[in-house]
Amino acid sequence: MQTLERTPTTRLDGLTLALLGTGTLAFLVALYFVLTSPPEVSQGYVYRIVFVHISSAWVGYLAAFGCLAYSVAYLVTRRPAHDRMAAVMAELILLFMGLTLVQGMLYARPTWGVYWEWEPRLTTTAILFAVYVGYFVLRAAIEDPELRAKAAAAVGILGVINVPISYMSVIWWRSLHQVQSFNLTTGKSQFDPAMLPALLVTLAALTLLFLGFARFKGFLAAQSAHQEAIGG
Amino acid sequence: MRGDRTWPRGRAIPDTLGGGGAVRRIFWLAWRDLTLELRGRAGLLAVVFFLTVMLLILGLAFGPYPQDLRKAAPGVLWVALAFAGSLLASRAFGLEVEDGTLDDLLLTPGGKEWIYYGKLLFQMILLLAVGLILIVFTAGLFYLPLAAWPGLLLTLLLGTLGYASVSTFYAGMLARLRGRDVLLPLLLFPIVVPVVLSSVQATIGLAQGLPVAEMRHWWQLLLVFDVIYVTVCSLLFPWVLEG
Repeated sequence: MQTLERTPTTRLDGLTLALLGTGTLAFLVALYFVLTSPPEVSQGYVYRIVFVHISSAWVGYLAAFGCLAYSVAYLVTRRPAHDRMAAVMAELILLFMGLTLVQGMLYARPTWGVYWEWEPRLTTTAILFAVYVGYFVLRAAIEDPELRAKAAAAVGILGVINVPISYMSVIWWRSLHQVQSFNLTTGKSQFDPAMLPALLVTLAALTLLFLGFARFKGFLAAQSAHQEAIGG
Repeated sequence: MRGDRTWPRGRAIPDTLGGGGAVRRIFWLAWRDLTLELRGRAGLLAVVFFLTVMLLILGLAFGPYPQDLRKAAPGVLWVALAFAGSLLASRAFGLEVEDGTLDDLLLTPGGKEWIYYGKLLFQMILLLAVGLILIVFTAGLFYLPLAAWPGLLLTLLLGTLGYASVSTFYAGMLARLRGRDVLLPLLLFPIVVPVVLSSVQATIGLAQGLPVAEMRHWWQLLLVFDVIYVTVCSLLFPWVLEG
């Protein structure tokens, strides 16, 4: 049964524009903080990539939880809008997790000597990425929109199980990858206070951009869904 | 709870969900599927044949030195089992769709979780049987030591439960889809990789003769996955299957 949704506005709302704008500005500020942060004892300046690396990983995890929330919301309410937003979230997971993986490789080359190492953190992150690639393969394979939404929601819910595994992998398997900068289970910080502002500003910037992207992509998805519904 | 007393007793499907009704339904469904599977034979035989050929190829690839084969044994065992599992998974709902009985099953009054549990039990029994055959084969062809057999059995039990919980769920979800045989492994493998990884690690430990206490955290991890997967899948199952 298809319920007719109200016609979406054809203009971007102010909040989306504000999020994208402040996100971009905050990113420039973050760049300043990152490039003026003091060198690290053993790694020198190379370590600066961790500010972006950690932040994009966190935002990627955040997107995974967003995908979970919208997937559950879709299964409960059956509103197509929630399904669209879950897909938007999955796209953002691919974006931010992909960035994390690439940044990690660039960081691993000078510090570990190789781009890729088969160790738990990297493997679980790559698996997380693969789950959400599968999410889009599934969406592409199913014609019926209702079945597609239900199946995708199931993958969105099951896929998030990999997030805590990936997060805890450095502790569970004592891997090559350094432990979390902030251990959320114990509240301990590994970060020097002098480096903290750069990380927090970068995190804030990426989070703002994430929210802006999510709203923007959601807007586009609503537009194209409306176009399809009216047969345009 | 929702005991619907108007349905006559003695039907094929136990008609109440209260108390033992749901459990009887689960066993009834698993028993029926096993009977059908054993009568058909073709499906199971194909899986066993596929595994034999696969093990021979892997043996040729890794051989001929026993130390190489021994090192490869745990990986071979679980990769073979994972492949067999994805072949078997489509059997979970394949017959229901072919015979058009899925709708009848869904129309039985009461909740739908028991269908999931019944199919899960059916899948687990099949996977366990194939797993036992595989362990014997890998012991023969790849020198997998069987001295620690209780540990191997425990790993097999926990590993197959984790694998079957997700494979049964996806098989049910995709049952009516045309391209399900291609899609199923694609969705299944990334989700079950944690289970396969921990099973392989536990098996490596057992094969190296490490003390059982060192394997305990792998088993704990497997148990945690099993509980999460079974719970989440059985909760989601009614939502994705209806309609």
